Amino acid sequence: MQQETSIKLFLAEAGDLARFSARFFREAFRPPYEVAAFIRQCFVIGYRSLGLVSLTTFIMGLVLTMQLRPSMVAYGVASQIPAIVSIAVVREIGPVITALIFAGKIGSSIGAELGSMKVTEQIDAMEVSGTNPFRYLAVTRILAATLMLPVLVLLGDAIALYGAYLGVNIRGITSFNLFWSQVFDNLSFSDVLPAFIKSYFFGFAVGTVGCYKGYSSRKGTEGVGRSANSAVVVASVVIFIIDLLTVQIAEAIGIN
Amino acid sequence: MATRISDNIRLGTFVLGGLFVLVLLLYMIGRNEHLFGTTYVLKARFHNAQGLVKGNNVRFSGIQVGTVRKITIEESTQIEVTMSIDKKMRRVIRKDAVVSIGTDGLVGDKVVDITPVSLICSLARDGDTLTTKPVVSLAALLDTLDHSGRDISVIASELKMTVQRVNRSAIWSLLDDSTVPADIKVTLSNIRQASGRASVMAGGLDRLVQDMRAGRGAAGILLADTVLAGDIRQAGKRIRLAGETADSLIGTLKNVAGDVQAGVAKNNGVVHALLYDTAIIEKLNTSLDHIQKGTEGFSQSMEALKHSFLLRGYFRKQEKQKKKNK
Repeated sequence: MQQETSIKLFLAEAGDLARFSARFFREAFRPPYEVAAFIRQCFVIGYRSLGLVSLTTFIMGLVLTMQLRPSMVAYGVASQIPAIVSIAVVREIGPVITALIFAGKIGSSIGAELGSMKVTEQIDAMEVSGTNPFRYLAVTRILAATLMLPVLVLLGDAIALYGAYLGVNIRGITSFNLFWSQVFDNLSFSDVLPAFIKSYFFGFAVGTVGCYKGYSSRKGTEGVGRSANSAVVVASVVIFIIDLLTVQIAEAIGIN
Repeated sequence: MATRISDNIRLGTFVLGGLFVLVLLLYMIGRNEHLFGTTYVLKARFHNAQGLVKGNNVRFSGIQVGTVRKITIEESTQIEVTMSIDKKMRRVIRKDAVVSIGTDGLVGDKVVDITPVSLICSLARDGDTLTTKPVVSLAALLDTLDHSGRDISVIASELKMTVQRVNRSAIWSLLDDSTVPADIKVTLSNIRQASGRASVMAGGLDRLVQDMRAGRGAAGILLADTVLAGDIRQAGKRIRLAGETADSLIGTLKNVAGDVQAGVAKNNGVVHALLYDTAIIEKLNTSLDHIQKGTEGFSQSMEALKHSFLLRGYFRKQEKQKKKNK
C-alpha cells in the first residue's frame, strides 16, 4: 500500500514536471519578453558559477591526467595521455562534472529562491498585481540556465585541458605545441557536438527542475529547504538520465 | 545602474569566452579534417580497401595532407578511393606517386600513404588517378608465415631423423669411442718422433752437402778439385787419342785380314797352309813331340849338370843371390 502510494506520487510528480515544462515552452516564445530579467539571470546563473566550475574542472583535468599516467606508462603509451584525456574531458567529464556542479549551485539556489517566494506568497502577490510570475521568474531562469551551461561547459573543457597540460608536465615534458596538436589531432566533431548539444539539455533540466521544485514547495520554511534539496537530487539524476539517452541517440544516428 | 552595466560587461565577456572556445574547438577539428581551406581531388583504385573509411587521413611521405572523401565500388573487383588533398600539395605530388593503404602504428587507424617516386614526372592535377601498390595484408603475411612454419616443421623432422641415423652409424661409434683419442695421441707422438728423426737426417744431409761444397770427402773432391778436372780432361784426351790409334790399328788389321783373305783365296801363303793343309798339322805335331822329347832330354842333362862338381859351385852361388834379394 505504502509502495503503491509512493509510485503514484512519483508518477504524479513526473506528470507535474512535464506539465511545468510544457508551460515553459508555451510561455517562453510569446512576447512580451523579460529581457532585462533574463540578462540579470544569465549574469547570476552563468557568470557567478564560473569560478566554481573553473576550480572543479581544473582539478578534474589535472587529477585525471595524473591518475591515468601509471597505467598508460605500464602500457607504454604515455605519449597518448593528452589524446585520451582530451577525449575524456570533451566527451564526458567536462559536460557532466560541470552540469553536476551547476545543479548543486544553481538548482539549489533557484529551488530555494522560488520556494521562499512561494511560501511567503510573493508569487501569488505578483499574480494579483497583473505581472506574469511564471514568465518573470521561471522562464528567465530556465532560459538562462539552458543557455549558460553550454558556455560554462566549453570554458570548463578549456580549463580542464589546461589542467591536463600541467598534469602531463608534472612528471614528463611535453611542449604546449605538442600537447595542442595531440589534443586536436584526436578530437573530431563527433566528440564535440554531441557533448555540446547535451549540455543544453543539462542546463534545461537543472533550470526546469529547480523552478518546478521552488514553484511547488509547501509547508513553510521547512518546505523551502526540502525543495532546494530535492531540486539538486532530481536535477543530478536527470542529468545522468539525459547523459544515458544522449549516448544512445548518438550511437543510433551514427555520430558517436 | 553602473553595477548593472559592469555586470553586463562581465556576462558578455563570459559568453564570448565560451563561444570563442567553441569556435576554436570546431575550427581546429575542422582544419584537421580539411573542411576549410581549398582542396583538390586525387583518386586511387584498389582491389581491397582494407577497412578504409571516409575521413581517414591521407599522408604524403608521412605528412598529413588530406582526408579520404569518398569510397565507391567501381566494378565488382575495384574500389575507387577519392581523396581531398590540401591545395598546397599541388606543387609537390606528381603523377607517378604511388598510393598504398597502411596502418597508423601497429593497430591504429587505416591511412592512405602517398609515396613520391621521381622528380621528373609532371605534377598531378585535380581528379587524376594515381597508381597503387598492392598492400601486404596481415592475413597474407600470416599465410606466408604458416607456409614457412610447415616447411620448418618438415625440415626439423628430417633433421631429427638424420641425427638419429648419425647416432646409430659407424661414424658416431667411432666418434663416441673413448680409446680413439688415446690412439690418435699415440700416433701423433710417433709422427712427432719420426719427424724429429727426419729433421736429424736432414741435418746430416745438410752437413754432407756442406762438406761436399767445401771439398771434403770423395764426392767433395770429385766435385770441388779443379786439378782433378784437368786430369780427367787430359785422360779423356788420351782416351780419345788411344781410340784414334786403335782406329788406325784396326784399319791396318783390316788390311792384314784382307791380305790374308786374298792369300787364302789364292791357295798359297803361310796362312792358307796353316788353315787348310792337314799335312802340315801332322808335321807340326810330330815336330812338337820331338821338341818335347828334346826338352825332356835337355832338362835331364841340366839336372845332371847341377849335380856335376864342376858346375855345383855356380848353382849354389845363384841360390844364395836369390835368397839375398828376398
